[in-house]
Amino acid sequence: MKDELAGALAAEEAAIWAYGLIGVHLREGAEQDQARAAEDAHRVRRDDLVEQLAALRAGTAPTPAGYELPFPVTDRATALKLAVQIEDGVAQAWRTVLPVTESTQRADALSALTESAVRATKWRKLARLTPLTLIFPGRPTA
Amino acid sequence: MVLTGSVRMSDSGHTRRRVLGAGGALAGLVTLSGCGIFGDDHEPPAGPDPLRPVLDEALALAAAYDRVVLADQTLSARLTPMSQAHRAHAAELARVIGTTLPSAAPTAAGADNTVAGLRTAELAAQKTAAAACKAAPAARAALVGSIAAARASHAEALR
Repeated sequence: MKDELAGALAAEEAAIWAYGLIGVHLREGAEQDQARAAEDAHRVRRDDLVEQLAALRAGTAPTPAGYELPFPVTDRATALKLAVQIEDGVAQAWRTVLPVTESTQRADALSALTESAVRATKWRKLARLTPLTLIFPGRPTA
Repeated sequence: MVLTGSVRMSDSGHTRRRVLGAGGALAGLVTLSGCGIFGDDHEPPAGPDPLRPVLDEALALAAAYDRVVLADQTLSARLTPMSQAHRAHAAELARVIGTTLPSAAPTAAGADNTVAGLRTAELAAQKTAAAACKAAPAARAALVGSIAAARASHAEALR
């Protein structure tokens, strides 16, 4: 279970980092608020995971020295595209936590997966990407 | 609470020996089922499969989307992917349960054939899937979790 939680932590860290870049390219107001709310949600999940891993006496993996963007983020369109990709990635990380947890811990992981899937849909809507949803959110795409 | 599957199994094994040693065979069975250690064993459950309601809902939702599209073709591009998603969910669930899909989808009585009605149905179905995910054995948790998340994202897409 440590590995899965550590994977979720890495995904949440990456999301927090990415939203720092995404926000500045979005329209002021509702769009930037949405990015800020997403970043806050990822911070809460991150802090929670750090605590859980500490309780497991698992050292948290060192934060990588630098992240590499999958593509240059230069404008609103690429920022929205990155937001979608980030949320899809976080959903994948949390999905792997489901089989290795039970009861409330699993319910918590499912909430994280679900919230990422919903946020990805919100970003797709703003980006006018179709379809708005994935068939199996969190399932790795082959 | 933070134990791996194998550790939990051996813990429960100790519990069983202790309880049986005390002469409480029935109490031992209760303890074992209470621990849920058979969760990963794929024991054929008595009665309908716990994922059956999730499967039925997937088919009912797919049919509900079709009815809304039939009434208003302009919604087809927006709604068809979600209808297809429900059919894909149903197919996977049928495979996991080990059943075949019924040819005719059940029609929910008094179904509300509007986009708002679909949204309400998605949110209700999300709750069913989330509860099923929480109760599912490990091997099924990811699939049912993805289905719960999909239903929530459909509800968001319909806003």
